Amino acid sequence: MADRGAEAVGGPRQERAALVELRGVSKHFPGVQALDDVSLEIHPGEVHVLLGQNGAGKSTLMKVLYGAYQPDRGEVLVEGKPVRITSPAVGRRLGIAVIFQEFSLVPYLDLAHNIFLGREPRGSLPGTIDHAAMHAEARRLLESLGMDLDTRAPTHTLGMAQQQMVEIAKALSQHARILVLDEPTAALSERETEHLFATVRRLRAEGVAMVYISHRLPEVFLLGDRITVLRDGKRVAALRPGETDADRLVQLMVGRSVDTAYARERVAQPGAPVLEVEHLAAENGISDINLRVRAGEIVGLAGLVGAGRTEVARAIFGADRITAGEVRILGAPVRGAPHQIVPKGVALIPENRKAEGLALIRSVRDNLLVAALKRTFGGVLFRPRKAYAVAANLIEALSIATPSVNRLARFLSGGNQQKIVVGKWLNAGSRLYVFDEPTRGIDVGAKAEIFALIDRLVKQGAGVLMISSELAEIVKVCDRAYVMRDKGIVGELSRAELSEASILQLAMHHE
Amino acid sequence: MSDAHAAPMSLGTRLARAPGVFYILVLLVIVFGVTEPSFLGAANLGNIGLQSAILLMLALPMTLIIMTEGLDLSMGAVLSLCGIVLALGLLKGYELPVALAAALAVGLAFGVANGALVAWLDLPPFVVTLGTMGVAQGLALVVSDAQSVVGFGDAVSRLYGTHVFGVPFPVLVAVAAYALMHFLLYHTRFGAYVFALGGNRESLVLAGARANVYLVAVYALGGAMVGLAALLLTGRMNAGHPTAAIGMEFDAIAAVIVGGTSFERGNGWLFGTLLGVLAVGVLKNGLNLLAVQSALQVAAIGLLVIVALLVDGLREKR
Repeated sequence: MADRGAEAVGGPRQERAALVELRGVSKHFPGVQALDDVSLEIHPGEVHVLLGQNGAGKSTLMKVLYGAYQPDRGEVLVEGKPVRITSPAVGRRLGIAVIFQEFSLVPYLDLAHNIFLGREPRGSLPGTIDHAAMHAEARRLLESLGMDLDTRAPTHTLGMAQQQMVEIAKALSQHARILVLDEPTAALSERETEHLFATVRRLRAEGVAMVYISHRLPEVFLLGDRITVLRDGKRVAALRPGETDADRLVQLMVGRSVDTAYARERVAQPGAPVLEVEHLAAENGISDINLRVRAGEIVGLAGLVGAGRTEVARAIFGADRITAGEVRILGAPVRGAPHQIVPKGVALIPENRKAEGLALIRSVRDNLLVAALKRTFGGVLFRPRKAYAVAANLIEALSIATPSVNRLARFLSGGNQQKIVVGKWLNAGSRLYVFDEPTRGIDVGAKAEIFALIDRLVKQGAGVLMISSELAEIVKVCDRAYVMRDKGIVGELSRAELSEASILQLAMHHE
Repeated sequence: MSDAHAAPMSLGTRLARAPGVFYILVLLVIVFGVTEPSFLGAANLGNIGLQSAILLMLALPMTLIIMTEGLDLSMGAVLSLCGIVLALGLLKGYELPVALAAALAVGLAFGVANGALVAWLDLPPFVVTLGTMGVAQGLALVVSDAQSVVGFGDAVSRLYGTHVFGVPFPVLVAVAAYALMHFLLYHTRFGAYVFALGGNRESLVLAGARANVYLVAVYALGGAMVGLAALLLTGRMNAGHPTAAIGMEFDAIAAVIVGGTSFERGNGWLFGTLLGVLAVGVLKNGLNLLAVQSALQVAAIGLLVIVALLVDGLREKR
């Protein structure tokens, strides 16, 4: 392994003992070693930043910490004593609270009810709630966080930042000593972020131990007291912010430079543009998007989860309303709903193929034909013989492993399902293919087949736009890539410039 | 800043926030009042109150059930069955409290069954209550031999005709039911958890509350209210009829939706349901006075639901 060993945490100065310590934690899931001998110390009055790419193991590690997962090996110590955190309830009793990106609030209950859900102060009659005491305590908690909120307001009327503060108040009311913040600034404005930082500093001064997960490197240096970097389920570094810089952190997250050995025979001379997007803005939040895909090209659309990549695909496809700019397919401006865009030769292979790309309870044949009924049959009549022939051809061409054209799609493996989604657009005669996370949930062998398929599409003169969170995949497969951040494109990388580090630097807000 | 006992919303705010049904109700009263002079007479208004009482008994717990993202289609059929049980009990010579207790027990049993199937077996409420609707309707027909049950004296109808301080007994029962529901929903843990069951069940479970027990309790409460409503239904007809309450779940669901309660995220409002029940009651009563046939009245209620949703949708967009 080219892995360098974990770098030791700074020097001999030995401070207070850790409040929580994860020691040599491993967790295996079918097909993947999610955590491999990971250790983590969380100290009172410190912010411990956890860094890593998507899938590096951050979430799994936190789930072990608060009790959602049990580790296969390794132990958890609280105040030096080994504990078994068998459920989130046990974790909460130990004072471990997690603020997720998806809030755990009840929208039509007021703030006070949400803060004390399940622990309401008892009123004089059995089953009743002492509202006066509950609101007074809720207000005290919120004020201690510097929030001046009406505790009787229904929670759904609050903004994201305020709901986050209610979550934190809820955690504090449960006497949380260890607070995990999972990408807390992802949905906040600049001002709200400032307020959150102030709150984090205040809690740190009060001795709360925090784990802070973020993809924004500047925040790491603003708030962090310690940094742990995970990669592929392993701890690759544990260091202090003063000992490192952003470049080094990106390097650690990416690891050694990836082999570029993937021998894709590139189309030497890309043809005319199949997709041109100019100054595109849409209701889903993206703005000023400029990109181009030519025939014979595979173009990557990279960025972190939530950067706006899927939104770009949906806007091109007409699924979300466009507010400004232009989309041209094969040189001709297009605009409208998906049923108007599809006939122009655009195919979307969505991220969530089970929900959006496939009718799981219909047969392979029906799924293959659905995008091109008119093209296949001409008139309004369904012709079974013709349907069988077309479906059988596609199954052969794509080598879809199915015992029969009548097999229900849900019985097929992920890779074969993905091929059906591609096949249905192939049948529709598409010239532009937009793949959204084409290899998610697919095993390694099937991945290679999907890439071979994509390769064949471009050789036949189609253009491909590929959205992927797997940096290595973009580097391996794409001729060029655009990088997105905060709903906009922040850079274009040529074949020569394309590397995991160059993508990550653009995607993570770090010059 | 607001103090611990913050003043309730001002009347103006309440009006501005009122669901479309409030304006629809006012409009209906004006239209019927103008076209049919007898509509606004004391006798007819009293009639509306009487007719709405039973519907309110169903719509109140239906509100809570819908707030949990559930549904109870069995209420009409179970009400018919409870009415038959009550009438048969009296016919066999049991005292009214005993017969009523039997009706309540039957209603409660169906409620618990609905809740248990939904909560513990995780079956969809629509399917579960469609099934129990069939069971209850079938039982009502079998037990009564598909005949009306009559000739059991006038104990129920006398009670039904009683006035307390000039208030008719059914209206009194409905008011008491409303007060009870209001207390449960807004002043108890149970009520807070009803909001949470629909709004974020996961967080309720994580908070350590026994979410499923509360979910069963919501349906059980519905069953008990249906059993109680059988007293009013039987008193009004002075008979037990196996199909007396067919389709009443439709009116109840309509009233809840018209009242601004949503099928999603635990968004419900009890006072809105009261308005919804009155809107349905006024609409039926007014159409009766105008001699519109009952089949068309069903269509009118359907339209009422759609109009109310449209009005709320438009107001929300603004």
